[in-house]
Amino acid sequence: MGEEEKKKSFLKTFKEVLDGFSEGRRESVIALTCKEVQELENIFSLLLLGAFVGFPAPPTFLAVELLPYMEREMRVLHYRAETSGDMLAELCGTLGID
Amino acid sequence: MKVIFYTGKGGVGKSTMAAATAVQLSKNHRVLITSLDPAHNLGDIFGVTLKDKQTKFASNLFLSEVDLQKRSREYLEREVDVLTRTYSYLHALNLTNYFNVLKYSPGIEEYALLTCIEETIRKGNDFDYLIFDTPPTGLTLRFMALPRVTITWIERLMQIRRQILDKRYTIQKVRGAPKEGENNPEIKLKYDEKDDDVLNRLKALDENYQSLNRLLQGEDCSVVLVFNPDLLALRESERLIEGLRDLGLPLRLLIDNKVTKDNEDTAGQVEKMLVRYFGKDIPVRRVELAVNIACQLGRCLYEIPEDLVSAL
Repeated sequence: MGEEEKKKSFLKTFKEVLDGFSEGRRESVIALTCKEVQELENIFSLLLLGAFVGFPAPPTFLAVELLPYMEREMRVLHYRAETSGDMLAELCGTLGID
Repeated sequence: MKVIFYTGKGGVGKSTMAAATAVQLSKNHRVLITSLDPAHNLGDIFGVTLKDKQTKFASNLFLSEVDLQKRSREYLEREVDVLTRTYSYLHALNLTNYFNVLKYSPGIEEYALLTCIEETIRKGNDFDYLIFDTPPTGLTLRFMALPRVTITWIERLMQIRRQILDKRYTIQKVRGAPKEGENNPEIKLKYDEKDDDVLNRLKALDENYQSLNRLLQGEDCSVVLVFNPDLLALRESERLIEGLRDLGLPLRLLIDNKVTKDNEDTAGQVEKMLVRYFGKDIPVRRVELAVNIACQLGRCLYEIPEDLVSAL
């Protein structure tokens, strides 16, 4: 490998490291917002489909009307239902408490 | 085009009054009378068999009875269709069976009723008058309240949805554009209001209900209250007046049906109490009970000598 190529490869790796670092920082900044979005989506689907778990629900047809477009929200709802057993641990994880 | 709803307690003669009005109006106008009551007797009044489509009775008079079960079924079938088209992986499953259960869920029938009213109004542009014979008080108030209740819900849901999109936008901005080859659906979330199917659907529904609500509360809509000279009808009519007032629906005429020589005094009292309860000036029409109509075979049920249209 020539001197020039070594330099290029080093710079490329260095750039990748920096990119990764920046991405990591960015992800950690928005982690809380991501959780918030998920939580809001969860609330949205719970409000809409709450009749199934005993919440006061909007007119049923509204739920039926929107159901076709709610794939992601349903998945979030399902995920939240699965992990809700250990809410405290998740909260600690999100807020970075060890 | 004017829209008139006939409301009142069960058995007071809503259908007969609606039919009589339709016949009187049809002398000078094109009229469509639609029965929304699941226990139809519009066909019996006119002596014809009606199906879920418009039937011409006279040159200016058209009749129809709504088949609610059929309407709910059709509505759900449409939804299942959209569902299977959107969730491609569900193609293999037979969702129709699941939706058969939804048919019995509360609210679907009122919704079918409302959709039906909306559709009749939308397609009824070539009529001068659209007359609706409604089911007894309870159901009527429920479906008439539906646009407003729904609008409230839609507004709340839209608010939450906008918050979600707002947060998604922030995330997207911080994250930057997805790199080539990245296929994680989490990274490509829709954040623009125009792209979000849920919000678009909510907006369309909102628009729909707002226009229906405007129409129901507007100048061209009238509600007619039919009652009998007795205590039960009086109490229920009072409840109905209050319900209509809450919903902002325009009550424009009271019809005191089945008045005879014997109950004339009671009729007078009931009318006075209702007008007082209503609080504003409102025309009252009295319709006499035709006691021996069964013996007069030549006379039709919908031919009523009293004038029912001048106040509308």
